[in-house]
Amino acid sequence: MAMLKELAGELIGMFVGEVRLTVSVLATVAAVGLLVRVSGLDPLLGGVALLLSCLALLVDSVLRGARPRGSK
Amino acid sequence: MMTWSVVGPAVSTAFLASLVEVVEAFTIVLAVATLRGWRPAAIGTAGALALLAALVLLLGPLLGQIPIAWLQLAIGVLLLLFGLGWLRKASLRAAGVIPLHDEEAIFAAETARLDAGRPLRRRSLQWAAGITALKAVILEGLEVVFIVIAVGAGRGLLLPASLGALAACTLVLAIGVLLHRPLSRVPENSLKFGVGVMLSAFGVFWTGEGLGIAWPGQDLALLWFAALFLATGLAGASLARKRSIEFA
Repeated sequence: MAMLKELAGELIGMFVGEVRLTVSVLATVAAVGLLVRVSGLDPLLGGVALLLSCLALLVDSVLRGARPRGSK
Repeated sequence: MMTWSVVGPAVSTAFLASLVEVVEAFTIVLAVATLRGWRPAAIGTAGALALLAALVLLLGPLLGQIPIAWLQLAIGVLLLLFGLGWLRKASLRAAGVIPLHDEEAIFAAETARLDAGRPLRRRSLQWAAGITALKAVILEGLEVVFIVIAVGAGRGLLLPASLGALAACTLVLAIGVLLHRPLSRVPENSLKFGVGVMLSAFGVFWTGEGLGIAWPGQDLALLWFAALFLATGLAGASLARKRSIEFA
């Protein structure tokens, strides 16, 4: 049972390393999907937005990780 | 037709990612073998590999039932989450914010943990050692299975990606058996950085394809994405290093 719990924790941890990054990526994909599929945005522009957003989220997440805990 | 620009990134990503994971699993299996002998280590490892193979055999046919756009979107998003997570950690390690993975230290800690069970009966000790090896191989192997499926499934490249992973396993086992000690000289963070870059690039690519985006240059776009993620990861590491010095 303990091993199954550990396995489940490992599986979740594979995709949710940092909650804010995970939520931001999911929100970005959902927003781009809506813009392309529903609002009729040029798919290529949607692709560029997806790529640039992911790059920005990465830098933001790394910089937040470098901040000591408790500081704003 | 399969060209190198299609097969190359999938195979090399599966190979490098598996190399990192197998090195980590090997450290634990070696600790088990050193303290309790090769029998429980081999039985635990074989059991884990059988479970992982069953998982692949179970998931493989199911993936064929999912419409390709949904499969690309689902795998793309999971790859993005997984890849950006690896890249974030590798950048923070490169910046010196979090410590590097130390195989020697992990080996010593695992050996000490196993050694703490000395008062138990010999049979119980063998059983615990086998379970330790089984758990290590399953935990690290799950990531390998995911990466192989993720980089291979969207373009029918499961076999080449599996061969890349198998080559990594064979290489680590061969070197490990020869050296008989943890593979601490493997530049693990550089490998993780590289794999994080490729997984993130695949993630953007598949997510885009799943959303109906036709990338210019098709598969070659992967290389551009990888270059951008590499440059951003390095810039992030450099900025994080400066920031951590400022706060120190």
